[in-house]
Amino acid sequence: MAATQYDVLIIGSGASGGMAAHTLTKKGVNCVMLDAGPQVDFQRDRVLKAVYDLPYRGFGKPGKLAHVFQANEFNANQWVDEQQVPYTHDPKEPYNWVRVRMIGGKSNFWARMSFRLSDYEFKGKDWDGYGENWPISLADLAPYYSQVEPIFRVTGRKEGLAQLPDGEFIEDKSPDSEAAAKLKVHGKPMGMTITKIRRATGNGQLASSFNLLLPDAMATGKLTLVPNAVVREITVDKNTGKVNGANFHDKHSGRELHVAAKAVVLGASCLESTRILLNSGIANSSGVLGHYLHDQFYMSNAVVAIIPEAKNGARGFGGSGYIPRYRNLTNGEKRNYIRGFCFDFSTGNTPDPKYFGGWGEDLQKELDSARGAGFSCTMMGEVLPRFENRVSINKDVKDHWGIPVLDFKCKYTDNEFNMAKDAVESLSEVCHNAGWEILNKTPNMYPPGYSIHELGTCRMGDNPKTSVLNKWNQSHDIKNLFVVDGSSFVTGGSQNPTMTILSLSMRASEYLAEQMRAGNV
Amino acid sequence: MKRRRFFTTLAAAGSVPALVAQPQIQTPPPPGTPVQSGYPKLDTTLPESVGEIVPKFFTPQQFAALQKLSDILQPAVSGIPGALEAKAPDFLDFLLSESPADRQKLYRDGLDALVHAGFLNADSAKTAQILSPLKQPWTFEEPTDPLARFLRAAKADVRTATVNSREFNTAGAAAGGGSRRFGAQGLYWVSLDPL
Repeated sequence: MAATQYDVLIIGSGASGGMAAHTLTKKGVNCVMLDAGPQVDFQRDRVLKAVYDLPYRGFGKPGKLAHVFQANEFNANQWVDEQQVPYTHDPKEPYNWVRVRMIGGKSNFWARMSFRLSDYEFKGKDWDGYGENWPISLADLAPYYSQVEPIFRVTGRKEGLAQLPDGEFIEDKSPDSEAAAKLKVHGKPMGMTITKIRRATGNGQLASSFNLLLPDAMATGKLTLVPNAVVREITVDKNTGKVNGANFHDKHSGRELHVAAKAVVLGASCLESTRILLNSGIANSSGVLGHYLHDQFYMSNAVVAIIPEAKNGARGFGGSGYIPRYRNLTNGEKRNYIRGFCFDFSTGNTPDPKYFGGWGEDLQKELDSARGAGFSCTMMGEVLPRFENRVSINKDVKDHWGIPVLDFKCKYTDNEFNMAKDAVESLSEVCHNAGWEILNKTPNMYPPGYSIHELGTCRMGDNPKTSVLNKWNQSHDIKNLFVVDGSSFVTGGSQNPTMTILSLSMRASEYLAEQMRAGNV
Repeated sequence: MKRRRFFTTLAAAGSVPALVAQPQIQTPPPPGTPVQSGYPKLDTTLPESVGEIVPKFFTPQQFAALQKLSDILQPAVSGIPGALEAKAPDFLDFLLSESPADRQKLYRDGLDALVHAGFLNADSAKTAQILSPLKQPWTFEEPTDPLARFLRAAKADVRTATVNSREFNTAGAAAGGGSRRFGAQGLYWVSLDPL
C-alpha cells in the first residue's frame, strides 16, 4: 500500500509547530506532525518526592547535564540527554544549549512571560543604524498577537508604553506591592516604569502547545501526530526542486522511514530546525543559514537587596513586577552601547546564605531576620545579531541515530558587557535611593544560551541574498518550505520571545493555507 | 479433536453459550491502559534508613577536617539538627567520590590546607582566622585563592546536604518549624521513554 501523502508535514510540536497545526487544520489542511520525543503523561511521569528521598539529596548526579544550569535532581529527566544528542564548541567559548524533546516541547516548561516586540525591535536599524530591520512591523503582527494572547490567557495591565506594546490581557487588577510602589517612585528619575508581569495562565496548570493548541488541532480530524520520530533530513523532488517530505528515524528501533507531504513547516525549535536544514543541504543560497545566532543574555540575581522595613516578618512587601526597557528610547541618548534591557523582580523572598559573610549560628540569625525581606531580579538584555555568531554542522560527531551534530561559535562582546554594567549600576542606584541594603550586584552573565531563548540562524528579510526566509517565514529558495520558530528572528529585543514565535507561526500558517488553496504551493 | 469441532461440541451443551460468547464480546483495552490486577504493592524502605554511608573518598585526616568544618558552618540550632546530625560529611564523601576531577581536587586540597593550618586543634579565635575568607563579599567570579574557593564551595554544599537531609526535615517539622520551611518536596520526573 502506498504511504499517504499529506498536505503539510510539520516538524516539531512545541509552540511554533503546535500553532502551525492549530491554524492549518482549522482551515482544513491535512497535516502530519513529527516530534523527536514521547508524549508524556503529567500524572504518570511525575512522582511527588521528598528531597531527602532522592539519591543525591537534591544535588543531582555529578557531571550530568553540565550545560543545563536549570536542571536539578527533580527535573533531570525532562531535558535532552547530552550524551544521546551531543553538540560541540570551543571549550573556551561554551554555549548552553538547553533542549526538551517531548510532545509540546519547551512550551511545557516555559516561564510564561508574555510580551510583544515593539518597533524599537522590528525597525531597530532605523533607530540606531545597526544590523537589519525586520521585513515586518508591529502593525503587521499585532492582529496575530491579539489572537494568540486570548488562547494563552495572558494576564497583564495596560500601560501605554511604546517599548512594551499592550495586548489583549485578562486585566490584572491587583494593587502593586509596597516594594513595587517604592521602586516606581525612586525609579522615575531614571526613566523607569514598573509594570505588572504579563503572564500566560493557560488552564492554570499548563500554558502549552500540548494543552492549548494540539487538542484543538486533533479535534479537527486533520492532524496525525507521531511521537518519537527523529528527523534526519528534508527531502527534495529533483524534478521540481520543491521539498516533498522528510526522512526520519523511529527513536527506539532506529529504522529510517520517509513521510511524504506537499509542503513542509519546520518548527523544531530554533537550532534543531537550522540543524535539519543544514543537514539537508537546502535553503541556503544566501549563505547566512546558521549565522546571526543571538539570544537574550540573562543575569540571575543581578541585584540582590534587603528591604529593611520588611525585616522580621513585616507584611505587604511580597510581590513581583517588571521593569521594561528604559535606555536608548530617545533621540540623542549617548551611551556606550545600543539597544536595551529589562528586569523582572520579586520581593518577599529570603536571600541566599552565600550573600551573607558569616557562618553557623550567627548566619542563621541573619537569615531569620531577613526572611521574607529580600529583593532579587533577573536582568534580560538584548544581544546583537552578528554574522560571526553561528552554528554549523560537525560531520565528525554524530548523535545516537547517526545524524551529524551542531558546532557552536558564539560569544558576547562589549555591547552586551557595557549594557550589563549600566543595568546593574542603574538599578542598584534606585534600590539604594529607596533605602534598601544592597547585598550583591553582579554584572556577569552565564554563557550564551542560558536564557533558553536562542534566536536567529534562519532569519527573515526582503533580500534573498542576506536572509533565508521572506516576510511570510517562507524560504526564498523553496516556496513550499516554511520555518516558523525562533530561528526566523532578525533581532530579539529584551522581551521573552514566545508570544512573537506563536504570532509569526499563526501568520505564516494562514499564508501557507491561502497559497495552497490558490495552487501557488 | 480439531479446533472447530471442539467449539461446535461445546456449543451443543446447554451451559456452554456463555463460555464461548465471552471472548466474542470482550474488547481489548486501549493502548496504555494500566494493568488491572491483584498484584501486591509492598511498603519498602530507602537504603539510608537502614544503613550508614561508608566513607571511602577522603583520608581520615581530611574527613576529620570536613567533620569539624561542617559542624562549624552548620551547627545544630534550637533543636534543629546540624550538619553532623544530618550526616552531611558522610554524604559529601559519597558525592565527591562521584564528582568531576576538578571538584575532587578542590576538596582534597582545601581539606589538606585546613589540616596543615592546624584547623583540627584550633581554638575559636584561630578557627575564625582560618575561615576569614568567608567574610569576603560574594562575587560572581570564584576567588582565585584555592582555600577561599574551597571554603565557599563547602559552605554551600554543607548547608544543602544538611537542609536536604531526612534528619533536618523530620526533626524540624516535628519541632513546629517556626518561620522556616521543612519537608521540602517536589515533583520528580521519572525517566521518560528511555532508549
